[in-house]
Formats: sequence, structure tokens, C-alpha cells
Amino acid sequence: MIGLIILCTFIGIIIIAFASIIQNKLVDSIILFMGVGLGSVVLFTIFKAPDVALTEAVIGTGVSSLIFLMALKHLKATK
Amino acid sequence: MSFKRDISTSSLSGFTLSAILILTILSILIQNIPKQITTAGDKLLELNSQEGVSNAVTSVVVYFRGFDTLGEIAVLFIASLGIGLMLSNNTKCDIKAQSNFMLKTAAKILFPIILLFGIYIIVYGHLSPGGGFQGGVIIASAILLLVISYQNFELSHKIIELLETFAGISYVLIGLIGLIVLDKFLGNFLPSNISNMGMLLSGGIIPIIYIIIGIKVGSEMSLIVQNLIRRAQ
Amino acid sequence: MFEYLNQVQNIKTIITIGSMALFCVGLFGLLTKKHFIKIFISIAIMESSLFLFFIGLSYNSSLVAPILTKNHQNFSQMNDPIPHAMILTAIVIGMSVLALGISFAIEYYKVTGKTKIDEMKDLRH
Repeated sequence: MIGLIILCTFIGIIIIAFASIIQNKLVDSIILFMGVGLGSVVLFTIFKAPDVALTEAVIGTGVSSLIFLMALKHLKATK
Repeated sequence: MSFKRDISTSSLSGFTLSAILILTILSILIQNIPKQITTAGDKLLELNSQEGVSNAVTSVVVYFRGFDTLGEIAVLFIASLGIGLMLSNNTKCDIKAQSNFMLKTAAKILFPIILLFGIYIIVYGHLSPGGGFQGGVIIASAILLLVISYQNFELSHKIIELLETFAGISYVLIGLIGLIVLDKFLGNFLPSNISNMGMLLSGGIIPIIYIIIGIKVGSEMSLIVQNLIRRAQ
Repeated sequence: MFEYLNQVQNIKTIITIGSMALFCVGLFGLLTKKHFIKIFISIAIMESSLFLFFIGLSYNSSLVAPILTKNHQNFSQMNDPIPHAMILTAIVIGMSVLALGISFAIEYYKVTGKTKIDEMKDLRH
């Protein structure tokens, strides 16, 4: 049962990551990158590593995507 | 001479497919690893039962590998320094849009709750999953909520400087005190009995160091967030 | 099929192939795309794949997480805590380096106004 869950989560993460790179608009790309971080948190919880899951949830999904969104705001402000 | 990046898509997909093939062969080779290997982690788990800390990952990060954490704090400091220097400081910032009324009210209510949650995760870092890094970034996200909602909100630079300096200096001072008392840099010189395991005041210097790390990471990330948002115009 | 996928070597095979495929997806994005934000996103995806690989290989489904609870009172039969500590450090450092790189790129855009790496040829003679 666990093997099937891990396989399906990996397939989902790969599809979301591929969709994130081939988007035309940049906002969609950043939001789909947050999805990769979320799938990563689920996988870390299945691997019984709660500290790493908490750190990835806060830093990888929160602050990292915030930095990308702020970069986008800088690009559009000085256009 | 113009520089063209004309790697065609077909050659790239061929490259990735061959990479997957090589890694499949590698994974077949991995299956020959014997099932029972004893690693250094087992020895550290045995040693950890004398420190009196419930969370084994905390004791590895702060006590057994405390020097690496000192280096990591240095890397965070250099990154914060670089971001503060690079983003130019245009004082001409015309505020174009006022925030929504719902956002302002919700931010006023949510800010103390998120701040308290971040402090809880820092202080209980040695008893449940959490610690200084996670709690520090949660505190920074509470400050982010305020920075987005209110256009006039600015953290005063002097207080953040003071907090960061105090946290950084006291980390090294605790290490030096350990060197003087126990002949070991970052040695555990406060009492740490096994009988206290599970209580808040247990494990010697480990919760103290995590609180110091939490203060430093929280203030640094708040400054990074404020620099990225405020210096946009 | 559930019992076939639950064996230890098959779980390790799934983890290896999955994380390396994610690495290849990030590599494809790094080599093909021209906007610098997409390049940074591809680098972050590659880093995530390596963290998954590292923790996945040290995973044993019959042991518990390395924290003491009410049900589990002594430090035996636990997962390895050292890879968790190393990946914690690596996640924080990866984020800080990404933030520094993005601020450099934003400053370059403000000075010259170029976002695609095809046109960034100021240092070429």
C-alpha cells in the first residue's frame, strides 16, 4: 500500500513540475512551483521525517515562492 | 558574433531519456545493499539518551553538530547583507494602491496568533518537531502580513540590528564558555539529567541555543522580506 | 500488486527513478528556457529532487520517527537522525542563495532592462 502511494505522489510531482516550466505566463509558473513544494511535504511526511517536512513547508513553499513573486513585482514596476 | 542557444528539443529529450536509463541501471545496482547496516546514527541515538532531550534531530543539529549550525548562520547573515546592499534605495516611492479593508482587519487579528505560534515552535523545539529555523521563518511571515497590509509600517532598523548582533555574539560566547569550563567548544555545561526528559527546562544549553537561533533567523528574515517589498518602487 | 510494490528494494527503485526524473525535468528547464526567473525555478526544482532522494534512501518502513512520544519511550528502533539534520541545513542554505541570486538579477534588470539571457552580452567583446 505504501509503495503505491509513493509511486502516485512521485508521478503527480513530476507532472506538476513539467507543467510549471512550460507555461507562458510567469505567475502560473510560480504557483505551480508551490505545488511541487506541497507534494514534497507530503512525501517527507510519508518518509517519517517531521522536522524536514516542517522546514520544507515553511521555507520551500512559503518564503521561496514569496521571493519569486517579489521579483515579478520588481520586474513589472519598472516597465 | 552573436550567441545563439540552439539546442533542439529532440536532442534534449534524447539526453534526458538516456539519463533516466543510466539511473535505472544504477537503481538496480542499489538493490544489492545488505539489509542490516549499522550507521553512525545508531551510535548517536545511544549517546542521545544521556543528554535528556526528546527530539533526536534537535540534539544532532545543535549539540553533536553545533559547529555546522554556526556556519549556516554565517551563510544566512551574508545573504541578508548582500540583499540589503544590492537592492537600491529609491526614496521616491509613490504609493499607488491602498489595501483592502478586509485585509487590514484580518491582519490586525491574525498577527498576534501567528507570532505566538512561531514563539511556541521555537521554545518547544527540543520536545516536538520544530526548532529555531522553522519558528523564525514563521515569525517573519507574521511580519510579512503586516508589511503587506499597512503601507506606513516599517520595522525600525536599530532594533533589528540590536537583536541580530546580540544573538550572534551570544552564540559564540556560549561556545567559548563551554571551552573554558569543559575543554570543549559548545560543550554542555548546564545540568542535563535524564530524569528531566520531557520537561521544558531539560537538556542543558540545547533549548537556549535554539532560542538564540530563532531570534537571529526571525529578525534576519523579517529584514529580507521588508527589503524585498518596500524597495520596489 | 500491493505486495510487489511494498518490498524494500522496489520502494528504493521507485524513489531513485522518481527523484532522478524530477532532476531531469529541472535540467531540461535549465537548458531550454531563456527568461531568468524560469532558470531559477528550474534550479530550485533540482534542489528539491535531491532532498527527496537523500531522505528516501534512508527510509525504513518498520521504524518510527526519531522523536520520543507516549507510545515509544526509548531511543531504539528509530530512523536515522543524521540525514534529517543535514537536509535541514541544506534547505535553509538553498533558500538564502536563491534570494541573493534573485536580487542580483533584479539589479541587472534595473540597470540594463534585459530579462532574457540571449541578450545579456555586455561582457562579450
